[in-house]
Amino acid sequence: MQEIRQVRLCGYGGQGVVLAGTILGYAAIKDGKWVAGSSSYGAQARGGYARADVIISDRTIVFPHVIEADILISMSQPAYDAYSGEVSPKGIIFYDSGMISPKKLECVEQVGVAATSYAVKEILQKQSANMIILGACLRVAEVVTKSSFAASIHENVPERFREANLKAFELGWSLGEHLKGVQEV
Amino acid sequence: MSFQEIKGTLPAGSYYFSGNEAVAEGAIAAGCRYYAGYPITPSSEIMERIAVRFKEVGGVFMQMEDELASICSVIGAVWAGAKAMTATSGPGFSLMQEAIGYAAITETPLVVVDIQRAGPGTGQATRVGSGDYMQAKWGSHGDYQVIALSPWSVQEMYEHSIEAFNLAEQYRVPVFVMGEEAVAHLRERLEVQATVRVFNRVKKHGTPPFGTDSMDGVPPMPAFGEGERLLVTGSTHDEFGIRKTDDPRAHARLVERINNKILANRGKIANTESWYLDGAEVVVVAYGFTARSALFAVELLRKTGKRAGLLRLKTIWPFPEEAIRDVGRSARKVLVPEMNRGQILGEVMKYARCEVSGLNQTNGEIIHPQRIVREVEAVL
Repeated sequence: MQEIRQVRLCGYGGQGVVLAGTILGYAAIKDGKWVAGSSSYGAQARGGYARADVIISDRTIVFPHVIEADILISMSQPAYDAYSGEVSPKGIIFYDSGMISPKKLECVEQVGVAATSYAVKEILQKQSANMIILGACLRVAEVVTKSSFAASIHENVPERFREANLKAFELGWSLGEHLKGVQEV
Repeated sequence: MSFQEIKGTLPAGSYYFSGNEAVAEGAIAAGCRYYAGYPITPSSEIMERIAVRFKEVGGVFMQMEDELASICSVIGAVWAGAKAMTATSGPGFSLMQEAIGYAAITETPLVVVDIQRAGPGTGQATRVGSGDYMQAKWGSHGDYQVIALSPWSVQEMYEHSIEAFNLAEQYRVPVFVMGEEAVAHLRERLEVQATVRVFNRVKKHGTPPFGTDSMDGVPPMPAFGEGERLLVTGSTHDEFGIRKTDDPRAHARLVERINNKILANRGKIANTESWYLDGAEVVVVAYGFTARSALFAVELLRKTGKRAGLLRLKTIWPFPEEAIRDVGRSARKVLVPEMNRGQILGEVMKYARCEVSGLNQTNGEIIHPQRIVREVEAVL
């Protein structure tokens, strides 16, 4: 694993982008990493924009905002359009393939995951798309350990949503297995 | 000195807290058990967490009708013997200034956390600014001193909150934790130790609560109900608290002492941190979140062989004059980046005998490291 990784999650408000960032950051703390997380979102509860940046490092972090994302997880077309140009060379983009038509980008690997449609069909809860796409991302990109992430879900998600989130994460993780060498699931 | 090592109020370990959550935990660890406040973005998470945690640790939480009532209630709680605080943002901090003057002349140890946002007025509630530093120093009328700390990380939001209580109790003075939205809403790893070093106010039966033999001393502080004869007034008073509103010597003695007790201890109170100052031609003087942009910039510059350094101000008031004088002697140029129109730039100019310039930004956004890099490169 690299010494420092800059992860950006983005999408519409209401998709659980900020919570996903918090769960990811806390999981990295459990792995003994240094973490800095910041988020920004519009005034609306749903439908506006939402962004969560998480920097994970083996050392203390000097500047705590993402300058160039190594990993971009995008869950809406406007967010993809806004941030796909700020990914570092050799970076990787995970996008919700049911929501986004990707652009051709040089030097950046792009992986489509139909997270929202899996969430609707398999988990029967649209809001768990965030855990599906993050699960796939973590399987491929190895940002935090699986056990830390599951433990972080336990501690950060209210009890009544916990089961669905864990299930969604497991589903995403298994989708990630198939992604090795494949571009879209 | 009555510093003690006490058991912490959180289990030791690593946490993933926002700056505001860390402030609440730092205050509780330091012994704060009274909070009165009025919610305001971007500080509200402090009172939210305090409200929950006080139930667990046994504190008294009051949501007041406004910021004037909040700080007055805190002053009352302190004289009843509690360690007490409030938290707010610029607009609320403005409303508190009259009572801060009262706290200064009555030598009431209290902590105000000001999570700065883009002002003036109600400005932009969710956006960052650093525009409250001069208000912190001069917000109330008359001559008095305060202590103002400038944390740059979630770890320091925690540590400065503890230190703020320790300084307040030691010097019987209002202490401000001058956070900024960018640190208050940042989440970072926070390391919590098993024990906390705290200072509890000095009490001495039968001694005057408002005077000492020396002109820079801090008198012991009784609480109401402890059997002392105690009068507290915002008017000029003698060492026993008796009003002396037409005695020139009493006034001079009081005003000089409440200023000198801080200024004479400036060397002990004012803290700075030096980064890459060896051989630095250009020194960036920065504080709060901006110091993180500055350190990132300085490290980038050093990698390309540019001789840049950083002096970080952890304390803004009392101002670390000596550290600025030293930098002014060794550097060719000093650059002061600030999320305001140059509030600390003027202070740096007073003490640095070299070329000093500002890099100012008032758009409600943080100063990006690349802006500082470009500015330094232009003069190197």
